Amino acid sequence: MGYRVGVDVGGTFTDLICVTPDGDVVLDKTPSTLDDQSTGVMQGLAQLAERFGMAVPDFCADLEIVVHGTTTGDNTMIEMNGAATGLLVTEGHRDEIEMRRCHKEQIWDPSAPGPAPIARRRARIAIPERLDFQGEVLLPLDEDAVRAGVRRLRQLGVRSIAVMYLFSFVNPEHELRTRDIVLEEFPDVDHITLSHEVMPRGPEFERVSTTLVNAYLAPKLARYIGNLQGKLRTGGFAGPLLIMQSTGGVMPPDYVARRAVSVLASGPTGGVMGATVTARHAGIDDFVAVDMGGTSYDLCLVRGGRPEIKTDWNWRYRYYIGMPMVDVQSVGAGGGSIARVRQGALLVGPESAGSTPGPACYGRGGTLPTVTDADLVLGYLPEAGFAGGRMRLDIDAARDAIRREVAEPLGIDVVDAAWGIERIVNANMANATRKVLAGYGADPRTLSLIAYGGNGPVHAWAIAPELDIERIVVPKAAPAFSALGVLVADYVVDVVRSYVTPLSQLDVARLHALLADLLDEGRKELEPAGLSESDVEIGLYVQMCYPGQNFDMSVPIPEGTDFDETHLLDLAERFHDQHLAERGFCFRSQQPLVRGARLAARGHTPKPEKFAALGTVVDPAEVRRGVRRAYFGAWHDCEVYDGSQLAAGVSIAGPALVEEPFTVIVIPPGMTAELDALGNYTMTA
Amino acid sequence: MTSVDIARLAASRGRLAAATAARLDPVTAEVVRNGMETICFEMAVYVSRTATTPILNQSNERNATILDAQGRLAALSVGIPQFMLTSTLPVRFALEFLGVEEFREGDVFVANDPYHGGGHLPDYNVFAPVFADDPATGTRRMVLIASIQCHHGDTGGAVPGGYNVTAADIWGEGVRWPVVKVIDQGRERRDVLYALQVNNRIPDYIGDLRAQIGAAQLGVSRLQEILLRQGTERVEQAVDAMIDYAAKRFREEVASWPDGVYEADAYVDHDPLGNPDVHLHVAITVSGSDISIDFTGSDTRPELQAWSTFGNTRGYTIGQLASMMDPEIPKNEGFFESIELVVPPGCVLNPAPGKPVSAGTHHPGADVGEVIALAMQHVLPDKAVPQTYKTGIPTVIRGIDPRTGQAFVDHSAEVYAGWCNAAKGIDAWGALSTSFGNLWKATAEINESLFPHVQWSRDYRTDSGGAGQWRGICGSHYEKEVRVDSTVYTYVVGMKYPMVGICGGKNGSPNEMILRYGSADPVRVEHTANNVPMRAGDRVMYDYGGGGGWGDPLDRDPQAVLDDVLDEYVSVAGAERDYAVVLTGSLSDLTLAVDAAATDRLRAERSKVRR
Repeated sequence: MGYRVGVDVGGTFTDLICVTPDGDVVLDKTPSTLDDQSTGVMQGLAQLAERFGMAVPDFCADLEIVVHGTTTGDNTMIEMNGAATGLLVTEGHRDEIEMRRCHKEQIWDPSAPGPAPIARRRARIAIPERLDFQGEVLLPLDEDAVRAGVRRLRQLGVRSIAVMYLFSFVNPEHELRTRDIVLEEFPDVDHITLSHEVMPRGPEFERVSTTLVNAYLAPKLARYIGNLQGKLRTGGFAGPLLIMQSTGGVMPPDYVARRAVSVLASGPTGGVMGATVTARHAGIDDFVAVDMGGTSYDLCLVRGGRPEIKTDWNWRYRYYIGMPMVDVQSVGAGGGSIARVRQGALLVGPESAGSTPGPACYGRGGTLPTVTDADLVLGYLPEAGFAGGRMRLDIDAARDAIRREVAEPLGIDVVDAAWGIERIVNANMANATRKVLAGYGADPRTLSLIAYGGNGPVHAWAIAPELDIERIVVPKAAPAFSALGVLVADYVVDVVRSYVTPLSQLDVARLHALLADLLDEGRKELEPAGLSESDVEIGLYVQMCYPGQNFDMSVPIPEGTDFDETHLLDLAERFHDQHLAERGFCFRSQQPLVRGARLAARGHTPKPEKFAALGTVVDPAEVRRGVRRAYFGAWHDCEVYDGSQLAAGVSIAGPALVEEPFTVIVIPPGMTAELDALGNYTMTA
Repeated sequence: MTSVDIARLAASRGRLAAATAARLDPVTAEVVRNGMETICFEMAVYVSRTATTPILNQSNERNATILDAQGRLAALSVGIPQFMLTSTLPVRFALEFLGVEEFREGDVFVANDPYHGGGHLPDYNVFAPVFADDPATGTRRMVLIASIQCHHGDTGGAVPGGYNVTAADIWGEGVRWPVVKVIDQGRERRDVLYALQVNNRIPDYIGDLRAQIGAAQLGVSRLQEILLRQGTERVEQAVDAMIDYAAKRFREEVASWPDGVYEADAYVDHDPLGNPDVHLHVAITVSGSDISIDFTGSDTRPELQAWSTFGNTRGYTIGQLASMMDPEIPKNEGFFESIELVVPPGCVLNPAPGKPVSAGTHHPGADVGEVIALAMQHVLPDKAVPQTYKTGIPTVIRGIDPRTGQAFVDHSAEVYAGWCNAAKGIDAWGALSTSFGNLWKATAEINESLFPHVQWSRDYRTDSGGAGQWRGICGSHYEKEVRVDSTVYTYVVGMKYPMVGICGGKNGSPNEMILRYGSADPVRVEHTANNVPMRAGDRVMYDYGGGGGWGDPLDRDPQAVLDDVLDEYVSVAGAERDYAVVLTGSLSDLTLAVDAAATDRLRAERSKVRR
């Protein structure tokens, strides 16, 4: 066994988790390099090598695997600086992407602008061709129009081409033929995305949106990963590089490059996977994973040890992503969220001071009060700062900002103002959590809260009671949790083939052909991982719905390739039962519609024995750093401890503050935190 | 039986004397407000999760609100602004008619009547009182009311589907429930639920209603948690603070508008019977921070078939005003109580009880937004964006589906674009106006697997958006082929009176609908299509109208016009005709460029002619 490294590139820091051959877990951070993220990644590896007293090439050569969560996709969508993209689309449906099925995000504001276009109308070329819903040709593909269209796109400077024809997921011939023609007319095109390959199902708005985003991201992502791989190879790394996808699984670069859209939310998804593995070891099945960072609060519901995967209504950066994604929801609440008073009302976020200029207490030019400033004024954060002590915090600047922007306008004192900021941001996070849980009909009182991210440990104590959640788990690796998550995630291949038919008319031979095809593809995709058969878990499903429904449900077929006519009734029953369980109702008298077959393959990766380095000190008094006053509706004197030295089994009663290298675990009066052997603080009343 | 004057009810401004005495800290008010908006969201989501018909579980036609014990709106959530804002009056009616003593812990009520506060019959409102301990008396009393309103697929009456636009009166349109108690202190009223059930054609109607009842009960229990956590008095203070805050912000906005009386007229082409030029008139008086909106002078012809009830008119009025203000102002009773609304009984916007409302809910109902925007355009140039549509009613296609042998009813609920006006500083975008941004319409790949038709086109039509310094949205060219013999039932407006331009912007192009389009015997729809027969292979063609432009087209940046030409929102000829922008080169080889000198000359000439 060599070293295993997980890297998560965030907006401010590049976080690294390294599992050593001895099973130790080392956490580190280095500033992100946003122009080329691979520079920061290599710097992080160099830092790790230094810690182990190794030369960089030796360390790289001893690296068994590097797993990466990247924000390349997300940053490209935030800045809208992807490839020059064009679209070839069924005539008459050129403008679906603009019409968005009528959806607008701001229903009260007629001046709110539309999303920035990926392909403007001039770069969306209408192609005469048409299939009906069964894939029969109503109008043959006009090949001359395709040629002329491609020439037009070249003329416009397009480098990446998306193709979206109606019902191509039923019959892909027109799209496949179009790819051939594009390559003839434009041999050096950077990229082509065919809609049926990236999203083999309807409806067309969702598919054209997904296809365009994929074509927009793919060239840049391929370049970035190629670059990173090159640097790693040059550095002496010979093992596999894996990339985290929003499905919750990792896959090699060439797989990911074809599905660029699947890297959106790569990092936050990693965090959820980390929480899932941590929880499994701690014996927790049902929980909310919450990640409070500098600008956002990301959360995900996990039940039965599996994160909720959402197959519809996945909006990212104002585009619809028609892929199954781990349902990580994000709201603008973080340490950098700005507090302000408007017409006598105190509001916090979603505007964020980010890391530059940052909270007032960072002393980087920020003058507006933020949540971190309130945390500091209320005594949760040490003036000595965090980020490994590299950054001091200026409490006077924090007080001044809160006094000027909040306390004086409201006519209250600074502490009450800071406490107000605290209550509002905590309530905002609790409400956001409730909304997500409402969507799944989950009762928060039955859940645990797993909190991570730089600010999760500081705020978890306040969020949980708002939701009547009794158990809080804060992992020691919280500040770099996404890096841990990508490292422990499994390989995931998720492929769908379309086949639309009423269940009563299902052609079992055709289903078998599809399943064989899916198994073949799954096997091929997993081959480079070199997994043994026992490490691969394969699920086969039929995608089903009631006629008229917008969404599919994946209904398992445990019979696998033994499925035959005699199993059709069982399948229908399973669908009705599942519909009842998941959606609250079913129509047993209705004939379900089959929409396709799906394979979800999971290849298990080795997991570390523990998830953080533990100390050996059994009596907290030995690592007591002193007393700090912290405010919980009233001032309390809190014992402050050095968490990095504590041993498993130590229990600390609140009010207390446990300082870890990159964060503080805030334990309020009335709660007690216990450190377990895995490196988790479990906090209960 | 006492009758209740809905307009008087709407104008009543009850409040708790005790609750205003103490000043509430702004943090608690904000926490309670966010909590209530979250509960509204939870109620709406509950309906989507548990309702059984697509109209409820797949669209966003569900509007959740929380009211206080006086029936004042405290908070609302996702939905369609006009409808959310309509849904408070039925609760007030119930409070007034039944008296507060009929509201008991565990009760749930149902109401749908346009003449008792509602919009139209298919909108069913379900609401339930929330009880909590009164610290002053040590007893329990009603503190809040949770309410959820949804549009159902049928409401009885002579024609299936809830839209009978030629019914002689409201009784012909469907069954009316001013208010009935369906759950009595936790016990289901089987007699009442059964009466509701047998008065509706859709078998799953009662399932959907149960979903709404469940949502209201969920709202009750969640609100009780907040009441327990915060205390009854503090929550009541928070509601007062929220309403005061909204009213204060509303009044500040109004105070920033210049004093004066602003009037405008708007027209609907005709009613479904062909009576022409249904007239709306508004006089808006701004005086300091007071605003009055008076529809005196609007059409009163008794023979009309276009009536918008008071509650409907009020919802559209507030919806339009809300769109003209800071979008961050919380939407609650503070809006309602800051407006003096005058709608004379007997006019098309406040009909005598009994008039049919199916057509009028939309027109002249929705046109209220247009006439208000028109009146305010010169005072509030950057806010006057009509939140309306020119839909008539949806196009209903019926026939027998050969795949199933069953009759089908296709409401043509697909995406199309039209009627979205530009705002100052921004060209119109998307499909429809902002207020309808929560709709989620069907597409070709959904509906072609359900109905025997092919949707050949819905693309934007070049040159159909109203010209202006900022351009209105282009309307769709919509073509749908029926693959079996069918009939078409619809009602079309917006041909004579398309979407209006604002502040010198030009009108959007008008609607035009042709059935059996491209065949030897096409039918142009003049006002209604009363089951016009179509043969297999015939096409429905609907050119949806564009949105109005904002500001003088001669002020549009020629570069923006060039971009529009490259994107084919505007043609080369249209650039010169509508914007006086002269282009050189050709679109086909991408050599188009603005001829600056020629453009300046042409623009100067046009302005001279104008003067």
